[in-house]
Amino acid sequence: MSARAVYGIVAREFVRFLRQRGRVLASIGRPFVWLVFAGAGFAAVFAGRNQIDYRVYMAPGLLGMVVMFGSLLAALSTVTDREAGVLRMVLVAPIRRSTIAFGKTLGATLLGTAQALVVAGLLLPVVHLRPTLAGALLGLVAVVLSGLAMGALGLVLAASIRSIENFAGVMNFVIFPMLFLSGALYPVRHLGLVLRAVAYANPLAYGVDLLKHALLGAWAEAGYGGELPVPLDCGALVLFAIVGLALAASLLGREGGVTRTALRGRS
Amino acid sequence: MTAAAIDARGLGKDFGAIRALDQLDLEVREGEFFGLLGPNGAGKTTTVHLFATLLAPSRGTARVAGYDVVREGLSVRRSIGLVFQDTTLDRDLTITENLRFAARLWSLPERVARPRIDVLLRQFELLERRDDPVRTLSGGMRRAVDIARGILHQPRILFLDEPTAGLDPRARRSLWERIRALRAGSGLTVLLTTHYVEEAEPCDRVAVLDRGRLAALGTPAELKQAAGVRSLEEVFLAHTGHPLAETDGG
Ligand SMILES: Nc1ncnc2c1ncn2[C@@H]1O[C@H](COP(=O)(O)OP(=O)(O)O)[C@@H](O)[C@H]1O
Ligand SMILES: [Mg+2]
Repeated sequence: MSARAVYGIVAREFVRFLRQRGRVLASIGRPFVWLVFAGAGFAAVFAGRNQIDYRVYMAPGLLGMVVMFGSLLAALSTVTDREAGVLRMVLVAPIRRSTIAFGKTLGATLLGTAQALVVAGLLLPVVHLRPTLAGALLGLVAVVLSGLAMGALGLVLAASIRSIENFAGVMNFVIFPMLFLSGALYPVRHLGLVLRAVAYANPLAYGVDLLKHALLGAWAEAGYGGELPVPLDCGALVLFAIVGLALAASLLGREGGVTRTALRGRS
Repeated sequence: MTAAAIDARGLGKDFGAIRALDQLDLEVREGEFFGLLGPNGAGKTTTVHLFATLLAPSRGTARVAGYDVVREGLSVRRSIGLVFQDTTLDRDLTITENLRFAARLWSLPERVARPRIDVLLRQFELLERRDDPVRTLSGGMRRAVDIARGILHQPRILFLDEPTAGLDPRARRSLWERIRALRAGSGLTVLLTTHYVEEAEPCDRVAVLDRGRLAALGTPAELKQAAGVRSLEEVFLAHTGHPLAETDGG
């Protein structure tokens, strides 16, 4: 694996992201919109019955959401790369398909992580959540592993979907179920059997669970902390990342990805 | 072990029912300036992509720089440069950023890449525009950056897939000068595809490709002599029974 090629791919993802002001602002502003609007509504519904302020309960979920948007949508660059032809240039470089997949996923992971760290720095003080050192470290692990799993998943979608329009459509279809079935807004254990089963096929659920272990330890007794064992959360996220990477690497090299666009561009 | 830069044996490619390339037997020699001449849809890009390991052959074999395109893809890609028919630059990045990105993909250390990029930018008269986004460049300039990108890692074999298509006559001439300068004094093997006879004329040897088949192969002089005609245009007509240029409005 060429470290320099991976670095080149990651660096380009960052440069492109930072030049898109709108994307940067949206990624930082989005969780606060949810905090204010969803937070206010749900807090009112649950008022008085809980030992936890709903906005505090939301914090890990919102961080998970930032990683999800950050790392999943990073895959957009792979779709635009295909349309602009850049992907062909990357494919003719003397590197393996798996190196490309790894570079793209690492870029997505670091983008998601950076966004989550910025948001955490703003959000946690707002909801008066002060994690312990161990909690903060576990939180970082949770963010990085979620980013890897989300980044790999995004890449699988981007490598199998040919146009930006389709990609946007599928993303909407993926993002919201993923968010609602992640435990970000309410505990997964309250869901019915079927939905709970779906939730456990959702990488974000493990990420959010891990973030609850990290940030809501003090409310674990009251039933608001993580529900699954920490090693299980980590293992599931790593598994999602590895399977996603392997799948994305084989999809990326498919020859249609290289020539179909060239044809479309000409006629 | 052959000294040929490119050696194709019975090479073919199908896309579903479309036979893009039938059975190509071709040898391109080390240091040769080789032209692949044919109209749109002849299979030129398919051929180049097969040599560059971007497509897998449906039949036959090919060795490029001595490496098998199926089993030794990485080694093939390490030996070649490819300027695609359509630009592959990132339009949002500057010229320098695009070249630096390519340098990293090709694993060039920064201390090697930086001076090389400077030299290429000077050579291609792009120094003043180096920090401008590619989207602000003219078509001719973009093409120049594409070529700079294609030779940055100093490949032994360079593929130019219709490098002048879509350029105005002046940009076309200056690009042509660049290609000439590039070859002068270097042992670079160049395989150029084109649908313009005047671009095939200066090639050492020309392969005429039509509907996925190799119709003729030889030096321009040989081809003309064998067909008893005076231009490559007529060579194409003699071998395929139809004119090379798409007829306009008729
Ligand atoms: N990815 C593809 N899928 C289907 N057909 C293709 C594909 N690529 C090329 N073709 C077809 O193969 C033939 C040769 O195409 P191409 O190699 O692009 O020709 P040229 O470069 O000489 O214009 C054409 O009929 C084209 O439509
Ligand atoms: Mg072509």
